[in-house]
Amino acid sequence: MAVALPAAGLLAACGDDEPAAGAEYPTGPVTLTFYWWGGEARAKLTDDALNLYTKAHPNVTITRTWQAFTGYYDKLATISAGGNAPDIFQIDDNGLAEYASRNVTLDLSPYTKSGAIDVSKHPKSLTEYGQLKGKQVAIATGENTPAIIYDKTILTELGLALPKVGMTYEEIITWGAEVSAKKPGYWGLMDPSSDYKALWLWLRAQGKEFYSDNKIAFSEADLIAWFQLWVDARAKNAVPPADVVHEAVTGSVATQLVVTKKAAVSFMWSNQLSEMQKATKNDLAMTAYPGDPKGQWARASTYWAASRTTKNAVVVADLINFLVNNVEAGKVQGVDRGLPSNLDVRTAVSDSLTDQKMKDTVAFENEITPKFGPAPAPPPKGHSGLRNTLRDIAETVTYGKATPEAAAKQFFTQAAAALA
Amino acid sequence: MSNVISEPASPAATPTRGSPPSPKRRAGQSPGRRQEGRAGLLFLSPWLLGLIGITAFPMLFSLFLSFTNYDVLSSWEFLEFVGFDNYRKIFTTDPIFWKSVRVTLTFGLIAVPLKLAASLGVALLLNKARRGVGLYRSMFYLPSLLGGSVALALVWLAMFNGDGAFNDFLALFGIEGKSWINEPDWALATLIVLSVWQFGAPMVIFLAGLKQVPTELYEAASVDGASKLRQFFHVTLPMLSPVIFFNLVLETIHGFQGFTAAFVISNGTGGPVYATKLYTLLIYDKGFTDFQMGYASALAWIFLAVIGLITVVFFSTGRFWVHYSDGEK
Repeated sequence: MAVALPAAGLLAACGDDEPAAGAEYPTGPVTLTFYWWGGEARAKLTDDALNLYTKAHPNVTITRTWQAFTGYYDKLATISAGGNAPDIFQIDDNGLAEYASRNVTLDLSPYTKSGAIDVSKHPKSLTEYGQLKGKQVAIATGENTPAIIYDKTILTELGLALPKVGMTYEEIITWGAEVSAKKPGYWGLMDPSSDYKALWLWLRAQGKEFYSDNKIAFSEADLIAWFQLWVDARAKNAVPPADVVHEAVTGSVATQLVVTKKAAVSFMWSNQLSEMQKATKNDLAMTAYPGDPKGQWARASTYWAASRTTKNAVVVADLINFLVNNVEAGKVQGVDRGLPSNLDVRTAVSDSLTDQKMKDTVAFENEITPKFGPAPAPPPKGHSGLRNTLRDIAETVTYGKATPEAAAKQFFTQAAAALA
Repeated sequence: MSNVISEPASPAATPTRGSPPSPKRRAGQSPGRRQEGRAGLLFLSPWLLGLIGITAFPMLFSLFLSFTNYDVLSSWEFLEFVGFDNYRKIFTTDPIFWKSVRVTLTFGLIAVPLKLAASLGVALLLNKARRGVGLYRSMFYLPSLLGGSVALALVWLAMFNGDGAFNDFLALFGIEGKSWINEPDWALATLIVLSVWQFGAPMVIFLAGLKQVPTELYEAASVDGASKLRQFFHVTLPMLSPVIFFNLVLETIHGFQGFTAAFVISNGTGGPVYATKLYTLLIYDKGFTDFQMGYASALAWIFLAVIGLITVVFFSTGRFWVHYSDGEK
């Protein structure tokens, strides 16, 4: 805490929440702490990009820490609670509102306004998705889209049509049942009933929303219909038994049913195609979630956020700007955190890609993006707990321990407490 | 430990010094005595600092937090005193609380007796002098050393999932297994088996206890024509009862505190369908996922109270079945 005091003193001179956006870039030695999660590939990409920056700014030293996603938020919470939040850290929808509304993050609005962090080439919806109550609390590292990833090899062997954009849920479930019927012990679809993003997209495809003003925006009847949809799918044998589903829900990319060859379709994110392809020999491909694609929006895969207690806000802003807008930095990072936010960088990166699945990701994004709807506000504080609540309660239905009606009722009781 | 400090007040501790110190000198303390006291304190200080700094203070602080809305992330200025709100919510509006209480009690009621039975059984087998008995003792003790390790939980995960080694084993007998850890009715059982398997620590204590049983008692019993079984129930068990009591209390507390295995095996979810939602997992969830640290602190204090209560019950019933050889009860 003591380390943060001088910074607080400086900030006080220009109002607590308005750091000096126009301050000079320091020439003396500066040390920043930088924290992110990801696999080894991402660790290397990020490391290389940071090295590019320190090469151009030799007075800046970046202390880096990275780890797998498991435990990342626990550690971030602990160090933030101790008042030592990293100067720059990776964050996603799960944590953004929690950290921003509790004043852990630095308000980046002065920097986006002054152009120190240039968002003029970023899609507007992507920039807005990093805003909370009018403040720019984080900058999207890239754009990401939910996508269903399917096993092209097995489906071709079975002589079945491949899933495509714009299928309705009824169509894909019927299709899934066909897959299951052709190959015993294999199922057409993963059961996504416990997955908040699948539910969210399903709601939006019908013109509804998940949240509005920090409250649940859909009704108990909607949730019952959602649970019932998958109960019926199970009755038609389109989705696997509950224990198989559970294994995939609680696991990592490596336990996804497409990878373990237990189902033809997994409900994922587009940037995960390349990573999943590395885990299986079968050829994987992807398409949009079922339902009208207007339910989708340009989502931030992850964000860069800064700590409110940073002593070097100017350098922090400059580094974030470099990571999202510099073409060379963009090329180094590829599409690992989704398509680059800066559209110029996106074009440059797309042209330089060599990984076929990363190219497929770009092609998919380019095809689907024009069909997107407007972005909603980022999920409110309490979202990460609520996702878990949905996961647990949806499972009571999958395992047949509760009716959709009882489960939906339970969800709304707990949601009220979680978002209060 | 505190004996060391209070020794000057006890005349029994000074006979080697020749004449007992006069009352006057004792009250003022001789320089040598005082030095000894200081040295004692000095040697104690790492432990004392640890006790105060990382046990007593955090505990009392969490008691304080349990009456607030502390959320880990916000600065102190947002801290609000909410009185008994957290406690009230736990008992009235938290549906997961009662679920996890049930899971934890089920776990404790099954795992602890099984573990004690297993450790006593193996201790009896290993009590006889046989060739290589030292090796066997070490091998049986080994799983306990690994304790609450993540690696062990991962092994369990690999053994008891659908394509795990356990099902391969069952297949040898033509039994078709399940995905044990992914079945709500069985997931807790795998945790119980894991806990029972780690019976090494109580086993070692039982072994020590068995060594203390005078052989004359067995000789006398066999002269009287008592069978081995009868000897076990009428000599071994009563003579061992203080040790059984000790292990019972220790393992109960230990059992309730189990966390790592459940966390790793369920991937932090406490699932499927809350089946492995041990109370400790609930506390962790509230504190670090939902950022309701005040609430989590309240949960922890309820936990402490319940474990304390159970221990008190053990101690008060203990006098009916725990026999000390010198006739003390």
